[in-house]
Amino acid sequence: MKTLAIYSNKGGVGKTAAAVNLSYLAARTGMKTLLCDLDPQGSATYYFRVKPKLKSGAKGLIKGGKRVFKSVKRTDYENLDLLPADFSLRNLDIRFHQLKRPQKRLRKVLAPFKDEYDLILLDCPVTISILAENIFNVADFTLVPLIPTTLSLRTHQQLLSFCKKKNFDVGRIYVFFSMVDRHKKMHRELIATAPKTLKGVLESAIPYLALVEKMGLHREPVVRFSPGSEASRSYQNLWDKVQQIVRSTDGSDATVPPGIQW
Amino acid sequence: MVEPIQFDLPGDVDIEQFIHESSDPYGVKKERVKTEPIRIYDTFDWRLFNKSLVLYSCGDRLHLRKRSERGNLCSVPLTSMPVFIWEFPSSKLKEQLAAVIGVRALLQLAEIQTRSIPYRLLDPEGKTVVRLIYEEIRSSAHKKAPALASHLWLQPVRGYSKPSQKIARRFEQAGFTVNTEDDIYFKGLKAAEKTPGSYSSKIALQLDPAMRADEAAKVILRFLLRVIQVNAVHIEKDIDTEFIHDFRVAVRRTRAALGQIRSVFPAEATERFKKDFAFVGQVTNELRDLDVCLLKEEAYRAKVAPVLRKDVETLFDYLRKKRSEAFQEVIRGLKSKRYATVLQDWETFLNAPPQDSPAAANAEVAAITLARKRIFKKYKSVVKTGNSISESADDRMLHVLRIHCKKLRYLMEFFASLFHPETMDTLIDHLKRLQDNLGDFNDLRVQEEYLLNVAKQLSASRGQTERIFLAIGSLVGALAGDRKIVKTAFAQTFADFSAPANRELFENLFAKQRPLSDL
Repeated sequence: MKTLAIYSNKGGVGKTAAAVNLSYLAARTGMKTLLCDLDPQGSATYYFRVKPKLKSGAKGLIKGGKRVFKSVKRTDYENLDLLPADFSLRNLDIRFHQLKRPQKRLRKVLAPFKDEYDLILLDCPVTISILAENIFNVADFTLVPLIPTTLSLRTHQQLLSFCKKKNFDVGRIYVFFSMVDRHKKMHRELIATAPKTLKGVLESAIPYLALVEKMGLHREPVVRFSPGSEASRSYQNLWDKVQQIVRSTDGSDATVPPGIQW
Repeated sequence: MVEPIQFDLPGDVDIEQFIHESSDPYGVKKERVKTEPIRIYDTFDWRLFNKSLVLYSCGDRLHLRKRSERGNLCSVPLTSMPVFIWEFPSSKLKEQLAAVIGVRALLQLAEIQTRSIPYRLLDPEGKTVVRLIYEEIRSSAHKKAPALASHLWLQPVRGYSKPSQKIARRFEQAGFTVNTEDDIYFKGLKAAEKTPGSYSSKIALQLDPAMRADEAAKVILRFLLRVIQVNAVHIEKDIDTEFIHDFRVAVRRTRAALGQIRSVFPAEATERFKKDFAFVGQVTNELRDLDVCLLKEEAYRAKVAPVLRKDVETLFDYLRKKRSEAFQEVIRGLKSKRYATVLQDWETFLNAPPQDSPAAANAEVAAITLARKRIFKKYKSVVKTGNSISESADDRMLHVLRIHCKKLRYLMEFFASLFHPETMDTLIDHLKRLQDNLGDFNDLRVQEEYLLNVAKQLSASRGQTERIFLAIGSLVGALAGDRKIVKTAFAQTFADFSAPANRELFENLFAKQRPLSDL
């Protein structure tokens, strides 16, 4: 089992779109996948048409155990489950602070899922506080969407400094370019130079496309409702790269659901 | 509630209309119809069936499940169907199958078609909360093929138990019954005109204690003839090595029956067929020896000193070449005029009506009387020979003892139905342990000799390096070492078999003459 966090300390960079499409693609390869929507805005939950509701809210989530199991919903896709968002998750930081060893609570919450899933994806809210520490503590890998602008790169440097300061392994942080506009010179140039200055840059870019935004209308992953599109190809390409990272350290085969037996 | 529920449908129900009517307040979305073949596999001798297992492929996966149970024990992805256990990729399924099928080939027994129409029930957000699947199973992909079964599956969706419960209740109220029985396996096989368990090389006969001994012998021999004929047909296809093995065992049993169920047939007939079946057995000797060696290929490779492991490949190549020659020899033998005459005459002899005043001394004796006498006599020979070995430690005598044991075992199996089943099982079990020890010893001895003989043949052919002979030598050395270990275990194994408690069981069952009514 591997845990992959889709994380950014900057908003509106395409985290949720990546999380939804990657989790769908992972499940389609046969990996039993759980997407945890940790963002109180609940966009991933909305995309999968699930009600943003956790049993006993953030309080229940933190307590862990059966309550969390009961909150899990099977999406409309084989092998893909969702731990929905809940509005009360906005207070997750405060709740963590009230507990002992607050940086490692999320790891405890997710521990029971390790046997059931091959891959757990975390769709994270914008944060660089105690919740971020929890995320880095539980994730085997972190995937950061980066818009190719100087401001985004600066924010990313902040994140790396934060991780180094907190002794997190920055070698497990990977970056992909998101919302890329090929017409913009700055985007092109930054994409060209970034691999020289940044570590862990995946050779994969998600273009800025209206089709990705249309996920809100279709309420499905774009790779599902428009499989041949450029957007889908980009996510597929991203998944191919991510898959190599996830599987390179994981010898286990993907398991397949029992389905219907006659 | 995450396990799917299977409902049987009452009479003429319009399934689509019914689903729409009973799904309120959920929306119904019909999905694409899916047609898929299901293929059922087993070995020729129904090893999976006998263990209540069902191996089947559906779509691109192979599943193993318990018969009459819903869930699969395990499954693997399938690109092409493996025939032998060693062709399977490492998996839980392989482990479970290995213990059951051994070296036998998996055969496709039946193919049935499932045609399923999936429906999704949606909440106001458009989220699937229940899945329904209407499934029809037909004997072939042809549209007019008769439907073997049709039912409706309700598949609950994790996190949405209430809608599933609600819909399941409505189905039951409408007269749908939950089907927990499993009849598709049997229906599928029936459609393919297959009868589960129809072949077994094990002797399963019901004899009457009072029947004439010659008639009892004929019942046993007719069963064995059937085994010979059935296997002979398949040997030619070279599906697996067990057809030849079962064939040989049946021939050996036939010869043992002719020799051991004494004086039930005219002496000249007995003599003639004994010779005939010695010939039939001989036809397959070389092939079986080679099969035994090649089945142990992996184990042999491991026994050879690591530096010579590469060199031993020449040996296996040579054995494989010899095997294909030996196989052709067997085919020629089975197609020969003599074989055909032997089998033809034998069948005629076995089907002839009983003679009124037969010349053979034991022909009219009650089957049970002769069975007791012969079994006990053979038991005494086993004990006597075994005791003499314990003292002299003569290897040749181990072979003699092995033959006595074999004959005793066959006699007991022939007449098992005349005696108390549990006691028979216990006695056969004790005997089997002794036979295993003797069999291992003999196999090792035969293999050593066989390999030395192969070395001789190879030395006569050109272009062999000394390394192949070193490899064979290394292998023979390892086998001799194993044989020594097996021999050390003999004394204790025999002591267990000849222990007073076991002897008492033999005496009670076979030595003491009791009236038929006591049985």
